[in-house]
Amino acid sequence: MTADLLVATTLVGLVAAAAGAAAPERFRARVVSALTAAACACGLAVALDVLRSGRAAVVHTGRLLPLGGLSLALDRFGALFVAISAVVAICAMVFRLGYDGHGFSSRTASCVLPLFVTALLLVPAAASVTTFLFVWELMAVTSLLLVLVDHRRRPEVAVAAQWYAVMTQFGAAALLAGLVLLATHAGGQSFAAIASGSSGMPAWVRGTAFVLVAVGFGSKAGMVPLHVWLPRAHPEAPGPVSALMSAAMVNLGVYGIVRVGDGLLGGGPAWWWLLVMGLGALSALFGSLHAATSTDLKRLLAYSTTDNMGLVLLGVGAAGLFASTGHRSLALVALVAALLHVVFHAMFKGSLFLSASSFQQATGTRDLDRLGGLLRRMPVTGSLFLVGAGAIAALPPLCGFVSEWLLLQALLHGLPSSDPSLAIALPVGVGVLALTGGLTALTFVKAAGIGLLGRPRGTQAAEAGEVPRSMWAGAGVLATLCLVFGVAPSLVVPAVLDAARAVTASRVPGPLVRGWDVGLLGARGVLAPGLLALGLLVAVVLVAGVRSALQRAAVRRTEAWGCGREMQTARMQYTATSFGEPLTRVFEDVLTPAHDLDVSHVAESRYYVEAATFHTSLDDAFERHGYRHAASGLAWWGRLARRVPNGSVHRYLAFGLAALVVVLVVLG
Amino acid sequence: MTSAYSSTLTLAAGAVLICAVVVLWVTSVRSVLRVVATQGFALGCVAMTVGVHMGDAGLMATAAVVLGVKGLAVPVLIGRAAGGAPDRERRPLVNVPASLVASAALIVVAFAAARGVATFVGATNGALVPVGIATLLVGFLVLVSRRRPIFQMVGLLLVDNGVALVAFLCTAGVPFLIELGVSLDVLLGVVVLMVLAQRLRSEFGDLDLDELRELHD
Repeated sequence: MTADLLVATTLVGLVAAAAGAAAPERFRARVVSALTAAACACGLAVALDVLRSGRAAVVHTGRLLPLGGLSLALDRFGALFVAISAVVAICAMVFRLGYDGHGFSSRTASCVLPLFVTALLLVPAAASVTTFLFVWELMAVTSLLLVLVDHRRRPEVAVAAQWYAVMTQFGAAALLAGLVLLATHAGGQSFAAIASGSSGMPAWVRGTAFVLVAVGFGSKAGMVPLHVWLPRAHPEAPGPVSALMSAAMVNLGVYGIVRVGDGLLGGGPAWWWLLVMGLGALSALFGSLHAATSTDLKRLLAYSTTDNMGLVLLGVGAAGLFASTGHRSLALVALVAALLHVVFHAMFKGSLFLSASSFQQATGTRDLDRLGGLLRRMPVTGSLFLVGAGAIAALPPLCGFVSEWLLLQALLHGLPSSDPSLAIALPVGVGVLALTGGLTALTFVKAAGIGLLGRPRGTQAAEAGEVPRSMWAGAGVLATLCLVFGVAPSLVVPAVLDAARAVTASRVPGPLVRGWDVGLLGARGVLAPGLLALGLLVAVVLVAGVRSALQRAAVRRTEAWGCGREMQTARMQYTATSFGEPLTRVFEDVLTPAHDLDVSHVAESRYYVEAATFHTSLDDAFERHGYRHAASGLAWWGRLARRVPNGSVHRYLAFGLAALVVVLVVLG
Repeated sequence: MTSAYSSTLTLAAGAVLICAVVVLWVTSVRSVLRVVATQGFALGCVAMTVGVHMGDAGLMATAAVVLGVKGLAVPVLIGRAAGGAPDRERRPLVNVPASLVASAALIVVAFAAARGVATFVGATNGALVPVGIATLLVGFLVLVSRRRPIFQMVGLLLVDNGVALVAFLCTAGVPFLIELGVSLDVLLGVVVLMVLAQRLRSEFGDLDLDELRELHD
């Protein structure tokens, strides 16, 4: 039954792609959205069934793919990711009904979008190396095409797509090498064969394969220093695609690391997980720092994705570290915290990206320095953005709080440990988590405060109006889920616990959830989100009541922060740049800001300024110091190599002869 | 009987290789065409000998095709392409003595490389496989070292003859249909090169492929 539904998911996805290519332009958006959402609904049904019953959905056919056929097996762990992708994709499809991006309704884009979504749903179900690599590459290529949709109008899209193409292919090459290494030593390419053969492999094979696979999946998850494509490609993609990439696709990087590290290889030595933790911590810090100083709304969200995936990897690394040092129950709690953060991140980041795309469609810009006052102009979308911002800043009673609390508790409970690696890594992890939390709060105070409050900083923002209903409905479902999961995490925690048990084969007994409360599997500490929400509600009502009781005097309306001046303009408000400026100064060495001040004077006197323009930009330190050098080195090598083929036919023929002779000598 | 077969085969195959080396030696277009025709004839004899020995009618038909195409049609066509062009390869990229030395080295490489093949083909045929590979390598050397398009065509033909010789010896004959196809391909290649040569002459006045560097990206 579930297997049939899994097949149905694929087939409906393919039909949607065909419909996208064939349907006339008038119905295209509606047909594609409906069919793709139907495919996602099938996927969601399979995933929920597997999560509930624990019986894997298995589809195996000897044909369709070379080398072993198509092989799918969806267990609880994979089902969790399928469910996330399906929910995000359904909301993105609802959003897509009202979305009007340039070129996004073209035949190509409409055909590729369902393929992308289908690949997203199938990656966690793949059960052999060839199947996995096929759907993984399908996902990469289709998402690349979707990023490219607007390349004719804006050249920066093509640049972003180039970065994405290079990084995704680099990651895929690393994955290919790692998985093939595992498959050759296991003597079979199905995941089951690798899992059963992995314990007998030599340590260097396991270590090399894990590092290669971590590099491949890490680049997809936006792990520093392989993140450079993410803050370029995610903002340039059309709205629904950027939400899908940031809320669903990056998760699969985490999926891969956990699937291979914990599942196929059955855990490993402490250094693997210290590596993952270290890179996760670096990603969290670097991402949150850049997010806090970005002024492009979608770029800010993209850096925040790197930040959140860093936190997830921190949790995954801590879980592995706990397992390798014998703290079984803490390992499970840390893994559940990480996976829970994946779920919640998908909800709030999906909602934020969809709302941000609504802002972009309504105002025509993503530059926070030109926005302002949108909460009044677009009340629904603005409120949804606020909910998402609260969730990502881990404010109770929204969902982000639950997962970050659980992660923090897991790290803190490991602290009284005699193991030196734990004693060093955990305090650092706690510090990173705390600093990142603060920076994220700052980031979204900036995004919401500058973008939604205050006065419009440009005519586009001043003339903005609310977007079509389907657009805020798409974002609204995700924002509602943020609230629901924040108040009642017991709805989702048991499923995540089952998923974590399925992949690690952990035998630690006991539920994490008691009634409405989230516990810690034996360790002390309980989170009662229901009570917390109730308390907050009471506090809000009390404060509002007291305030209205005290505020008897007539309200005097006057210009706020007038400072005695008349004729204030909107340009006098704080901007996103000025908000982030102190932080930029503190972290000058990491952010390497470039300022450009251009002052022109009046002809008569040098003491009078005619005009001044100020331009500031932040570079990605890894991009500037790492990738640029690597790229120029490659270009130099390429120029050198171009001297060899000089256009002479005889020289080319000589290459052929030489190659033939070498082959004969080597093989003979 | 077997020894007559073996010596006929050795003679014919040897003639194929000797013709290939002679192509490197002569510079006149007219004599080169005669050498190529001789080689095609020798190749046909190889096929015919193997065919008669195995009693394989298909192989004999193939041999007839080879005789017709490679011994007659192709040399005539190339000769027509040469038309009124100057009659000699005046300054080859590698001069004649050097290319003869190089061909000797290539033949050694071929014999060294073909040891493996010789063990699983029958004794007589296996011993002759290196001859085919050597012909192929020498043909490649002609392609690399000669400037005139006519010689390029001849080099291509030598490569093809080498491949065909190995095929006849190793598998005791390729299927008739495939050999027919390959021969027609060679014919087509020659026609294309002919057209190219005439175009070159009308565009540049002279025929030197090394002048074509403008194609370089």
